[in-house]
Amino acid sequence: MTDTLEADLEPTRLSRRERRAAAPLAYRRRNVELSLIILAAAITAMAYTVASLGSNAEIPAGIFGFVAILLGLLLIAHLAVRKFAIGADATLLPLAALLHGIGFVMITRLDDTLAGLQSLWSLIAVATFVAVLLVVRRVTDLARFRWTFFAAGAIGLLLPMVPGLGANINGARIWVSVGPINFQPGEFAKVALAIFFAAYFADNRELIAAKTWKVGPFHLPEPRFILPVLVAWGFAIVVMVGQRDLGSSLLFFTLFVVMIWVATERVGWLLLGAVLFAGAAYFSWTQFSHVQTRVDIWIDPWSDSLDRGYQIVQSLFGLADGGLTGTGLGRGNPNQVPEAQNDFIFASIGEELGLIGGTAILMSYLLIVGAGLRTALRTDREFEKLLAVGLTTIIGVQAFIIIGGVIKLVPLTGITLPFVSYGGSSLVSNYILLALLMRVSDSAARRIGEVPDEPTPGERWAAWKLRREIRRDQKRAAKRSEAAA
Amino acid sequence: MNKQIRQLALGLMTLYVVLFATLNYWTVAQEEELNANIENTRAVRREFDRPRGPIVTADGVVAAESVPNPDPDAEFDRLREYPTGDLLSNITGYFTLSFGSTGVERVYGDVLTGTTTEQQIRALGDLLSSDVDNSGTVQLSVRNDLQAAAKFALAGRSGSVVVTEVETGAVRAMYSNPSYDPNTFVNLPFEDAQEAIVDLQNAPGNPLLSGAFQQRYMPGSTFKVITTGIGLENGVIDTTSEFERVSEWVPPQTTDPIENYRGSVCGGDLPEVFRRSCNIPFAQTAILLGPDRMVDGVGDWGIGEALPLDIPGSAASTFGDTTDLDERLPLLGIRGFGQNDDQMVPLHMAMVAGTVANGGRMMEPYVVESTYDHQGRVLNDTDPEVWKTPISAQTAATLTELMTGVTEGEGGTGQSVQLAGGQRFAAKTGTAELGLVDDPDRVHAWMIGFAPLEAPKYAISVVLTDLTSTQADAATGGREAGPILKAMLDYLLTGPGANVQLGGPG
Repeated sequence: MTDTLEADLEPTRLSRRERRAAAPLAYRRRNVELSLIILAAAITAMAYTVASLGSNAEIPAGIFGFVAILLGLLLIAHLAVRKFAIGADATLLPLAALLHGIGFVMITRLDDTLAGLQSLWSLIAVATFVAVLLVVRRVTDLARFRWTFFAAGAIGLLLPMVPGLGANINGARIWVSVGPINFQPGEFAKVALAIFFAAYFADNRELIAAKTWKVGPFHLPEPRFILPVLVAWGFAIVVMVGQRDLGSSLLFFTLFVVMIWVATERVGWLLLGAVLFAGAAYFSWTQFSHVQTRVDIWIDPWSDSLDRGYQIVQSLFGLADGGLTGTGLGRGNPNQVPEAQNDFIFASIGEELGLIGGTAILMSYLLIVGAGLRTALRTDREFEKLLAVGLTTIIGVQAFIIIGGVIKLVPLTGITLPFVSYGGSSLVSNYILLALLMRVSDSAARRIGEVPDEPTPGERWAAWKLRREIRRDQKRAAKRSEAAA
Repeated sequence: MNKQIRQLALGLMTLYVVLFATLNYWTVAQEEELNANIENTRAVRREFDRPRGPIVTADGVVAAESVPNPDPDAEFDRLREYPTGDLLSNITGYFTLSFGSTGVERVYGDVLTGTTTEQQIRALGDLLSSDVDNSGTVQLSVRNDLQAAAKFALAGRSGSVVVTEVETGAVRAMYSNPSYDPNTFVNLPFEDAQEAIVDLQNAPGNPLLSGAFQQRYMPGSTFKVITTGIGLENGVIDTTSEFERVSEWVPPQTTDPIENYRGSVCGGDLPEVFRRSCNIPFAQTAILLGPDRMVDGVGDWGIGEALPLDIPGSAASTFGDTTDLDERLPLLGIRGFGQNDDQMVPLHMAMVAGTVANGGRMMEPYVVESTYDHQGRVLNDTDPEVWKTPISAQTAATLTELMTGVTEGEGGTGQSVQLAGGQRFAAKTGTAELGLVDDPDRVHAWMIGFAPLEAPKYAISVVLTDLTSTQADAATGGREAGPILKAMLDYLLTGPGANVQLGGPG
């Protein structure tokens, strides 16, 4: 008994060379990541130069500093992955870097002041990315704190409604002001709720799927299993409608439906979700004038093209002006679209980079979705699967909702374009999301055996404490037997 | 769960394929239409900082020009100005930062900025010179002095004056009240410009729309020129046709009689009923022609088609709904003398007069005479073109005779209008009773004509659209529109307007 325990607790510490030999695939992956990151940085630096040439016919003054900081930041993120998540997918970070870079160039081109703030937020976002990788060493750590995340998500969603704390900006009460700092807790709540849903469904998926509760002709899951989920979902919906943030509301709803569908493997949840959504949409359409406005200008923005439909009409004009190849960076008029740096940044990209540039953005999101769902397929743990599904759904659906709104495919709902839009909360929360997704990916690689599974510092410390106790016990036992002898 | 994850992947991919398709739709399929949208100011913004040439009237007055922006910190180096204010704005249109461009500014934007292929090729040859500004000049056929005369003659009343050149179709004057001054908003930032434009749109009579070629009005008796033309062409009437002297007549399919103007007894031969403007003979002529020949006939006169003017937004005249007209013969009769659903564009009525004067050929109207490159060399001169030939030269001669009777014959409705210096002219008056329930006395007063009679040079149409006519104080075409027509023709033929030098890029 003691022997096996001791062997288990003795950490397998590998030298760098041993590790490299044990995980050739992981190292190759990191090298691919490094070269892709350099490519993303090169594209960003060139776009930055071209945008400046286009608008002022000048090579930007600080171009070398810009490239240095850009490369530095990306290298720090890359080294953190190499150190803390060596088995993670190679494409996620470069794709995020590319989107972030193009977004930053667009924001610089639209508004110099915002660009300064955005670069500060970029620093914070990358630091947060590294911190998350450093702190969350095991995915299961997250599952342990499911109720904490539930509470955090709930409080985050409620905060903007607290008088004196919440702030109403551009018609949506989704901001929290503390002194000089404004942030959108909803951006973080989406990650917290995805973690909660993943943990809760992983535990209870069979019980929810069993549907042992009979109500008339319907078979439903036991109320006590489904209640917390319904509370979380209803909470999100009610708060979001109360805050007039339709985009986030739709995002939370989709996240919930997709996760419960994947967890229970019952397509009925999708149908139920569709029915509930249609009902809620119809109800809010009849009840809220701002929802009616959104629908009206979606169906026909032209009839009110100078007022309510102005933003979407200008967005479409920009896209058409860009055409196939775009007007060229710095050579269009994306400032014609109100909120161009924010929700409508895709319209600016479409205008100046054309159909080709817009398609590159779409492809980037699709590749992120692919990498995220591949991660979900590769891992064999239900919590990790569901977490990867949830996080990927957030990115994929959020980008779809806002791009679709900007190009008049779906009614416009204010929501940021992940990694691209201006905004600190959005950027930081999406880097947290990215770090978690890469953590899941790394975890899957470890379990498959592509990377030797070494204990984390926390685990080593716990093991060290355990060993010390065992030794103490042994000594005490020895003393006792000596005394007895 | 893997099956669901794969399905999710497929689902999300589908969403993105739809996004891609939609993006294609806007950027490629709809590109042209969106770029042509009047509110799309993207191209304008790009153009705004380029040198932009002037628009000059036929008599050499600058109607639109770009001047250096006095504010050195402004976003744009140039401002667009319209020195003639509201005189020519419905023709030049406007070139704004925030709300696109209209009129000549819109159609000839490429000439004004020097971006036509020909201008660019010519500019290549000038590379050696230091002159890099190759913006062109647009010269209108419209005369500033005539616009001013028309505005003066209208004296603030709602209405339009159109003068065209008989042989070419060149528009020499086309002014309508209310008009607007583009200087009040073109250089303003978005919100201010929006407020000004919305105010204009909501102002009575919508000044942004030209009453002369973008609106249409009930023509009243001036329409009898068209009905008579169709009748003569089809041989159902001629100058010897006799019409019974009656005050009312019951058309087929009804018991409601048609009356002459104010119930007067009116009849006689064609010249007499034409110059006295009886209603019943023309109702009878229209019914005699029948719906088919009448509808074909008005089509020959261009009614139902947008006028082929060289700036956008021309309205189309209309003969009303023509379905089942054979079951609604009374309406056909009433439309025969220009009431019911007939509506004519004032420019079109000038073209009708011009057709009679021009031996039956209706010319395409145009407001731009020539375009010039940056060195004053001609890029393009507008070639006059025949649009329609609704009547033969013989019918035109007959109509000329009939219309001369209006100004010279006994009891002619235009007899009160006599030109200075004894200049002879042909005309037709019209008083359209709108029959509005809430405004029963509201009328449109018309007069169309051409002069000089011996060698017609100008065709003219005058309409006043906001008149009230009562039994005691009858506002008729001859009385109200006549003096304006006289003022214009006097100025042109014997007044100071006769010797104005035209042509050249100024």
